[in-house]
Amino acid sequence: MKSSTIYYLAFAAAMAVCPLFLNAYWTDVFNNVGLYAILALSLNVILGHCGLFHMGHAAFYAIGAYTAAIINTSYGIPILWVMPLAGILAGIFAMIVARPIIHLRGDYLLIVTIGIVEIVRIALINNVFDITGGANGIFGISRPSVFGYKISKPDQFFYLIWGFAAVTIFLLLRLEHSRFGRALMYIKEDEVAAGGSGINVAHHKLVAFIIGAVWAGMCGTIYASKMTIIAPESFSFAESVVLFTIVILGGSGSIPGVILGSFLLVGLPEVFRGLAEYRMLVFGAAMVLMMIFRNQGLLPPGPKNYNVADLLQAGGGK
Amino acid sequence: MKRKLCTLGFLTLALVALTLGSAWAETIRIGLMCPLTGSWASEGQDMKQIVELLAAETNKAGGINGNQVEIVVEDDGGDPRQAALAATRLTTKEISAVIGTYGSSVTEASQNIYAESGILQVATGSTAIRLSEKSLPLFFRTCPRDDEQGTVAAKTLGDLGYGKIAILHDNTSYAKGLADEAKSLLEAAGKTIAFYDALTPGERDYNAILTKLKSAAPDVIFFTGYYPEAGMLLRQKMEMGWNVPMMGGDATNNPDLVKIAGNQAAEGFMFLSPPVPADLDTPEAKAFMDAYKAAYGNAPGSVWAVLAGDAYRVIAEAIAQTKETSSEKLAAYLQKEMKDFSGLTGKISFNEKGDRVGDLYRVYKVDAAGAFVLQP
Amino acid sequence: MEEFFQQLTNGLAVGGIYALIALGYTMVYGVLKLINFAHGDLFTIGAYLGLTLLVSMGLFDKIGPLPAVILLAVMVMILVAIIGAILERVAYRPLRQSPRLSAVVSALGASIFFQNAIMAIYSPKFLVYPHDILPKAAINVLGMDIPIMRIIMFMTSLVLMAALYFFIQKTKIGTAIRAAAIDQGAAKLMGINVDRVIMLVFCIGPALGGAAGLMVGLYYGQINFSMGWMFGLKAFTAAILGGIGNIPGAMVGGLLLGVIEAMGAAYISIAWKDAIAFCVLILILIVRPTGLLGERVAEKV
Repeated sequence: MKSSTIYYLAFAAAMAVCPLFLNAYWTDVFNNVGLYAILALSLNVILGHCGLFHMGHAAFYAIGAYTAAIINTSYGIPILWVMPLAGILAGIFAMIVARPIIHLRGDYLLIVTIGIVEIVRIALINNVFDITGGANGIFGISRPSVFGYKISKPDQFFYLIWGFAAVTIFLLLRLEHSRFGRALMYIKEDEVAAGGSGINVAHHKLVAFIIGAVWAGMCGTIYASKMTIIAPESFSFAESVVLFTIVILGGSGSIPGVILGSFLLVGLPEVFRGLAEYRMLVFGAAMVLMMIFRNQGLLPPGPKNYNVADLLQAGGGK
Repeated sequence: MKRKLCTLGFLTLALVALTLGSAWAETIRIGLMCPLTGSWASEGQDMKQIVELLAAETNKAGGINGNQVEIVVEDDGGDPRQAALAATRLTTKEISAVIGTYGSSVTEASQNIYAESGILQVATGSTAIRLSEKSLPLFFRTCPRDDEQGTVAAKTLGDLGYGKIAILHDNTSYAKGLADEAKSLLEAAGKTIAFYDALTPGERDYNAILTKLKSAAPDVIFFTGYYPEAGMLLRQKMEMGWNVPMMGGDATNNPDLVKIAGNQAAEGFMFLSPPVPADLDTPEAKAFMDAYKAAYGNAPGSVWAVLAGDAYRVIAEAIAQTKETSSEKLAAYLQKEMKDFSGLTGKISFNEKGDRVGDLYRVYKVDAAGAFVLQP
Repeated sequence: MEEFFQQLTNGLAVGGIYALIALGYTMVYGVLKLINFAHGDLFTIGAYLGLTLLVSMGLFDKIGPLPAVILLAVMVMILVAIIGAILERVAYRPLRQSPRLSAVVSALGASIFFQNAIMAIYSPKFLVYPHDILPKAAINVLGMDIPIMRIIMFMTSLVLMAALYFFIQKTKIGTAIRAAAIDQGAAKLMGINVDRVIMLVFCIGPALGGAAGLMVGLYYGQINFSMGWMFGLKAFTAAILGGIGNIPGAMVGGLLLGVIEAMGAAYISIAWKDAIAFCVLILILIVRPTGLLGERVAEKV
């Protein structure tokens, strides 16, 4: 635990001084990395910790972004205040949608989540309930302001996004080491045994979905205020694929792995801009090669060490 | 750990390359943002071809005011998020102005970024009305707006005597915008809208939709989507044995339309479009057509790519006339002083919103040989 | 009522194509428990190869239309089968022992690779098959004009599917495939060369997908590097609908999906057509997860 805390603090310090060395473009790339990192971390709870094959994460992201956008543009409420609401709505959506499908076996769950993300996208394009703006999306979303300080430049967004990311990482670390987190990992390893040990499997899976959705929804708010316009194209199945890949490639279940994964998957195509048309070709080939040569991911979660003597002394432990 | 070092190494290299790149100062740098990958890759690659051709010609003739022109190209992938990144990247490259892009929501994602960095933007394939309603002083477009096309569409349909009109779009923001405009204008003129729905682009089989349309018995079908679907609709409509006339918006203007539909099915199809250079009499248009044919072998496929060429030419003209490269001065020139500039798609002047003035849209009809004939 | 039958025939024609592609998905899933996301792109490759062969060899001028189409189909199927086998060897075989998710990511990577490779080789423009190859006549059934080609397409799909079904059920190799699908370990113990069987599956499935691509190219005339995506997803939905791992299931699922789509377009809304198809899929999975005809895959307890 100790050495990893040092790594985290060093990383935080490095990120804090980054904007001083990078120009606006690279700061913006890091902003994108940050957004994807937060999203991937939220997916990590569902996919990495709990082992649920979820390829529809963009749907939760979309609901959060659209909720924030609609409330902000219709009622003029500042965007940061809408953030919790957007998260909650995404969570409610996840609850309604995940409830009937939670018991499905791995591959079937995968397909259903693909179906869900497509349905959400089509509904957004078709201007469901007449509030989503159809294919045009919603525009004129206001920029966030913290105590009157308006955030609009890439380096200002940098601190907002990575600040939120830091909070996310902290909370998810606590989750990972909590009873709930351990239960999720148990379910991932062997669902039947977990059920036999007294864990309410369906309940835990559902809560995992909801947590992931709430976080994705809140991230959607930040995205909406950064772009000031959102359109259904940004929330397609392809986005879910990117998030899914970040988690798997980075090391499913491992927070540092997921962060590294987002740096690579979002940053590398930018570095490879020189390749122009061949950029995505290289990307696809890289994905295949990665899986063949290092399929546990770049930084897989390491084994957890518990000092048994300490735990026994403390009388049962956490 | 090795991976982290590798990543850091890459990033450092990239940073160094960037800083070195921005050291060139003598050339005039004009940015071009276009979709080189993604679903609109063919448009973007055409845009790049035309703009680079025109820039090469300028340089051969001695450049602008003696300085060579360099086109800095960035790929926006036809996606708003990538467009925002591409735009931010271009703002770090010391460009005087940017051309682009294709796709209204993609352009919109980049508007604020250019506006906040004070860079002149001339959009080429973004017809959504709201783009120029934001009071952005540095935003212009060489392409017309959906409301203009809607007006011409409604007028043409009315002039041709159609009373019951079926409107079909494909749920993209462009097509739906045009469809909505046309619908409200037609209804105001007392016409019946027999059908109003969207198809899914990218599919191949539209028989289900055509069957449904047929049972609505319209006098004419107005399709506001893109040429691949238009071609399929024409072909399948003919195979069904249904002879109803069909009219399209400017996104159907592409020679491949006839290739897809076949001469027999495409005959009689009408569409609206800004005039293509081949139909203009000006020396500039003729010279452009000759140069393009010499370089690439055939006529340019997309009128939107030609509009990108026009964007380049107005920027180049503004730089040449004002002898300045700052965006505010160029914008002021474009708005106030550019009058009836001879473009590749007709005369160009801009109004106070940055929109192109003038009646741009003309009606084209496809004849039996598959050629696009400009209607008077 | 006439519209209903017209839409029914529309749906069946499209459904035949979905069924052919779905067969590829279902066979691979049955044996490897892998969703081959790159299958839709193999379908696209079939369409593109067909165009290249057609144009470069000028077949229609040398021999009549019918023999030319058959020859073309055979060539395309063989080529796509080879590509499918290479795909298996490179992207999936090294991952046989790895967790399922790795193979899924690898499949996605292969799909991205294929799509962009096609775009790089052939250009992003829409390519068009030459016209006037196929007869355009229509016959009149129950008062509707149905183009002959749609009937031929539908019949071809059925013939190919029936051939596959008999192959799997009645031949020795087919039995080997079924055995490997039920339990790879036991099949190995019975002396079946499982690697060979899997390679065969990756030849047959993509070959059928390639044939579907060729048919789509010939009939609809227009092909594009991203067409595999939509067709693939629908075909995949069809395979699930019928019961994945189950060959008659893929056929039924494909036809049923085509009809549901056509009916949804006709009676509800065209714009929501795809959403309706997905809703049906989700409902089936909730109510009857193994699909309509039930899956023939052993369940791990």
